[in-house]
Amino acid sequence: MATSPAGSVSGAARRRRIAARTRLDFWFDGILLLGYTLAYSYGFTGIGIHEWLGLGLGLALLFHLALHWDWVLRTTRKLTGPRGHDRVIWVVNLALLVGMTLCILSGILISRVALPYLGINLTRIGPFWSTVHDTTAEITLGLVPVHVALRWRWLVRIGRRLLAWRAR
Amino acid sequence: MKFLRHLAAATLVVAAVVAAGLAWGHFDPGPLPGPGQGGPGQVVVRGQAVKRLPPGFKIRPGLRVISIGPENLGLTSMFQAVNLPVLRDTVEIEAGVIAAVVILEIGQRRWRRARRARRLADVTRPPR
Repeated sequence: MATSPAGSVSGAARRRRIAARTRLDFWFDGILLLGYTLAYSYGFTGIGIHEWLGLGLGLALLFHLALHWDWVLRTTRKLTGPRGHDRVIWVVNLALLVGMTLCILSGILISRVALPYLGINLTRIGPFWSTVHDTTAEITLGLVPVHVALRWRWLVRIGRRLLAWRAR
Repeated sequence: MKFLRHLAAATLVVAAVVAAGLAWGHFDPGPLPGPGQGGPGQVVVRGQAVKRLPPGFKIRPGLRVISIGPENLGLTSMFQAVNLPVLRDTVEIEAGVIAAVVILEIGQRRWRRARRARRLADVTRPPR
């Protein structure tokens, strides 16, 4: 198949662009996992870092979801299809989205440091939201590693390529 | 531009979950908050007002003190070795779940491949 020089340049640029996007996904996901691990370890970070990290994670997760919105649409359209693996990932991701959103929402509502610092003082927040925060945190601790592990082949492949690229 | 469209869509989905969560909290038939944030029989005390209970002070039965004195931000807790097991526990749980899922996935893939190979062998085997 003959390709024009312009075509090969645009092809190379396209490959570079895809690699840049893959690199972004890989490192951003790694930072998210690290941030989540730290935020979950409340006894390690202390309440101040826990709350600010949680707020940051909320924004980062929104960004993560937007980055993978194409996948969400594609997989949702193919939900009735025969591929079971994507269906499992879709269900896990949906559960994680709900769990993580409720965890961060309840964390904001029961905030003792970050929100008062921003001048927001919520009153009449009952124990309901503390229970929701604890429960959803436990659920997400189970779901986050599943979410990561379901893509372990991609992680290993990209991790190897990135490390090889750096070693060169 | 495309990313902004995706971000708007993702925000909309998250907003829907937030709205559902707030509605759940609003209509939850659980115990209503009592005199303070801590719920019935609990009083949350913050700031410089009370640093410690006066000597000989006794808490009325049924009343539980949640917080006394200013909020401790625990900003140095990450640098204290005594808190490290908390992080280690989290990492161990995550690593354990990841390992379990990876093993299951590998096992399932091998089983599927073996089944496919058996079917293929059945189809290609010449009739006796």
